[in-house]
Amino acid sequence: MAQFNLYQEEFHPSPVMHIWLEFKRSHFALIGSAILLLFCAIAILAPLLAPYDPNVQNTNTILLPPAWEGNGSISHIFGTDALGRDVFSRTLYGCRVTFGSSIFLVLIAATIGVALGTFAGINKGIKSSILNHLLDSLMAVPTLLIAIIIVAILGTGLWNSMWAIILALIPQFVHQTRTFVREEMKKDYILLDKLDGAGSTRIFWSSILPSMFELLVVQSTLALSVAIIDISALGFLNLGAQSPVVELGASLSQSLEVAYSAPWLVALPGFCIFLMVLSINIVGEGLRNALRNRLIH
Amino acid sequence: MLNLLLRYINLMVLTIAILVIISFSLAYMFPGDTLTNISGIVPQSNEQRVALEAVFKLDRSIFVQFWYYLENLISGDWGVSSSSQVSLLEEISIAFPATIELITYALLVSIFVGIPLGFIGGIWHHKPFDFGVVTFSVVSYSFPVFWLALIFITIFCLQLGYLPLSGRVNFLYDIPHSSGFILWDIMRADIPDKKDAFLDALRHLILPTASIALVTTAIFIRFTRRSIMDEMNKGYIEAAKSRGFTTKQIFFKHGLRNSLLPILPLMAMQISTLFTNAMVVETIFSWPGIGNWIIQAIYQRDYPAIRIGMLVVSVFVVTLTITIEFISRAIDPARDKFQRGAV
Repeated sequence: MAQFNLYQEEFHPSPVMHIWLEFKRSHFALIGSAILLLFCAIAILAPLLAPYDPNVQNTNTILLPPAWEGNGSISHIFGTDALGRDVFSRTLYGCRVTFGSSIFLVLIAATIGVALGTFAGINKGIKSSILNHLLDSLMAVPTLLIAIIIVAILGTGLWNSMWAIILALIPQFVHQTRTFVREEMKKDYILLDKLDGAGSTRIFWSSILPSMFELLVVQSTLALSVAIIDISALGFLNLGAQSPVVELGASLSQSLEVAYSAPWLVALPGFCIFLMVLSINIVGEGLRNALRNRLIH
Repeated sequence: MLNLLLRYINLMVLTIAILVIISFSLAYMFPGDTLTNISGIVPQSNEQRVALEAVFKLDRSIFVQFWYYLENLISGDWGVSSSSQVSLLEEISIAFPATIELITYALLVSIFVGIPLGFIGGIWHHKPFDFGVVTFSVVSYSFPVFWLALIFITIFCLQLGYLPLSGRVNFLYDIPHSSGFILWDIMRADIPDKKDAFLDALRHLILPTASIALVTTAIFIRFTRRSIMDEMNKGYIEAAKSRGFTTKQIFFKHGLRNSLLPILPLMAMQISTLFTNAMVVETIFSWPGIGNWIIQAIYQRDYPAIRIGMLVVSVFVVTLTITIEFISRAIDPARDKFQRGAV
């Protein structure tokens, strides 16, 4: 006998759920996000996880190799550096500073960039045109050069290098936001809003921003990987974080003097930066694919 | 077309004007004496200070000062470096070609490696080879360039001893400076052991070029792969397929050209990445380029050098970027300008 189903029971996942369903199909993306979560945990919990104070110098144990090497000691898992500081604790604190400050500066850059980009996208005419084109061309100025100028004006230090990178990241967000807002403003649902009498502010907050959110997340992951590399490059050139602050790039450059006798001191911070950026890139790639596939289905 | 050209020239002039204004105002914003920042000379006595202020028009209004600054910039009188007291124009004309040379080779390597790999990956996408290409691209994009350079040094210079550690050419060879591009200079130079010198210069080039090129190659692979995948999914390719053309014919007749067009402006945007990476790599390999020069200038608080170095590099990059954008706009006018640079 034929069966019939009166109530159509279909599964209607929300847009965010759609992204997650697509995202978790890729194992690499899942592994990447696990590593990223690990770094988030380190950034928050570093003081609890670190066995030693990262700046305490112990002259009895200088240049102790990591625990997996023959003459290493289990009390210092990653060994000690030229001043007898515990490398494991320094790496944890370094991840905290590098990763944490990068997230912070990407958030600031995204906020400013979205504000400027929306302004340029919603408005038409000479003001927004000048803003557009000038920002586009100033985007071509190399990041490190902007950073060097800022550091020359304000002096070295973590905060100053952060301002420099914020300044260098803003144009990307402006560019993306402006393009997106321009495209959206042509669509019918915005026209509907306008016919209902909504002003620019309301159109932005209740119509454009929700649909822009995904784009922003993807753009932020891109910016985050750039930010981490830049902030550690500045640290490496001794223009970023200064001595009591433990930063991965800075501690890498400090250990260059003993690189030949203690290669792990160069290898470990570099590998941490690499892993951080790699996991962010994999997650970003996964998110982008998920978004694209969601739009296709 | 003329309209477009005028618009781009206008944009270029406006941007360069802003860069010049920024570089002028830097003399006031940098810490220390404005007179030293703008002239590079530390006045020894009060009389000398008054005299110098009169020369640089610092006793006049700011507009007169700016006009004088502009005149000097155009006439090539860029002042002297406050640490070495050598003319900045002279120092830059030695350092800048070295960087251009390095960046050009790195760009060529990434174009000749990245674009074919991206094409192969894009055509055979979701196959094992494509998987390898994508993995390579993601991994090499994640390398911090300074760490990569250090790894190269550790492996190839310290462990294996194959390649030299720093500099452009061995000091044994005395290459006269003419154009500043080392390979060209060696070919032009009148020295007995020309071939050895050339090989030596090449060996010096390998590691810095490879360190800079890796990241850019990764970016190019990604752009090309995306672009070819988008292009090969379009309707006209399907139509050509249904008419019985082979994939090879379609790819070389339509796909290749149409998918190369949108990636040209994206490549222009990579020039700034190249410069950033070159600055770091030059410092590590003691390459006598402009990046190394600017970073040394900031270590020595040589503000006139930073000011002029920033101006030269940014004007160069901006000019190049705008020119490439204009070219890509001119050869591909059908594309909406907001779709540009959005692969």
